Amino acid sequence: MSTTRLQEVLICFGKGKQVDISTAQAAAAMWRFTKLNASLINPKLATENDADEYGKGHEFPTVTYKTAWDVGCTLEKYLGAEIGAWAVCFGLGKVVKTGAGPYTYTCTPLIPSAGDAAELPYLSYVEQIRPGAGVVVDRQAVGVAVESFQISVGSGPGRANSKISIELVGSGKVIDSATGITMPAATAEKLLPSASLTLSINGVDYVTNKNIVSLETGWKNNIRMDSGFYPGSGFQTAGDGSTGAIRGRLEFGNRQGNLRFVARFMNGSDEYTKLKAQTTGTAVVTLAYDANNSLQLTWQKITYSLVEIAETDQILTVAVDCTPLYDSTNGVLTAVGKCAVDGICQ
Amino acid sequence: MTEFVYMRPPWGDGEIRKVEARPEILTPLMVAGWSQCDPPAHNEEVKTDVHD
Repeated sequence: MSTTRLQEVLICFGKGKQVDISTAQAAAAMWRFTKLNASLINPKLATENDADEYGKGHEFPTVTYKTAWDVGCTLEKYLGAEIGAWAVCFGLGKVVKTGAGPYTYTCTPLIPSAGDAAELPYLSYVEQIRPGAGVVVDRQAVGVAVESFQISVGSGPGRANSKISIELVGSGKVIDSATGITMPAATAEKLLPSASLTLSINGVDYVTNKNIVSLETGWKNNIRMDSGFYPGSGFQTAGDGSTGAIRGRLEFGNRQGNLRFVARFMNGSDEYTKLKAQTTGTAVVTLAYDANNSLQLTWQKITYSLVEIAETDQILTVAVDCTPLYDSTNGVLTAVGKCAVDGICQ
Repeated sequence: MTEFVYMRPPWGDGEIRKVEARPEILTPLMVAGWSQCDPPAHNEEVKTDVHD
């Protein structure tokens, strides 16, 4: 018997969005990537039993019941233009696509009070190991949404200094064998390296000043997982109440943006002054492969919530946490992803 | 070359607008509930000089 190495795992997921939470995508709507982490989208079955019921003569369970299904995983990757555009499209939810190659995806968070949906776009996520006659794993999670994305940029030349982590959660609906999905060819990625960063925060250009050390920024949807189960939300096998409930919706909760950075601290550094004055301004983070492949995040209005002076490699630095504020005209965040791939989140 | 995009007003109520596809133009509209849509269909020509 041969062992199976986890490096064999193949993943593909929806480049476009599902028509609704319960309709699985076909291979034509998917794209394939490699990843950095070992996390798998394992379906988890919650069960209950009759231990507490009277009339059995004892306190022991005699029967178990399938209650509900859950799926989810984290996807870690070196940041590329394609996965970056995908993450902001599915993670924020409101997308305007323009161009005819390269394609530009302008994304903002959904605003239900302005008529937008309270649910993010859904996708299918497929994992396979040795698909075909010697199949080890072949499963498809249906109705998956982006719970969060987090971009980290560090100092150094390697790919590890520009990464993205994407947390996925699902409705619980799973095709756990014979998905019928033929894994597409791996997507050619245009990496967005740390060395390409341009960064302006609260009126300071930290790259021109050669001050920036590291940066993290991201978005969390705090999806209301429990409220996905409602009367009529459905079962793993439609019409079969013994197969366990699945979620019929994944609504975002109280969403949160984050931006924190570490910069060299020197004469003229004004982070602490701006903290005391609660000065507000924009923060624009841009990473690019070339003119046709890039990712730009614009926090429309931020202020500093924490400023700590410390050291990095014996160099005096300042660590700053920012609080993203809602601007009455421009909202919280605008993300613009540009790449050669058409149809993302369409 | 300037690119344009069609945007539908919030709640689908009102006229479709053609706007420049720049983030600084799109962002306030998107935040206000405007969504991308297909170009409006051309209306049939309506003649006003109809003979009895």
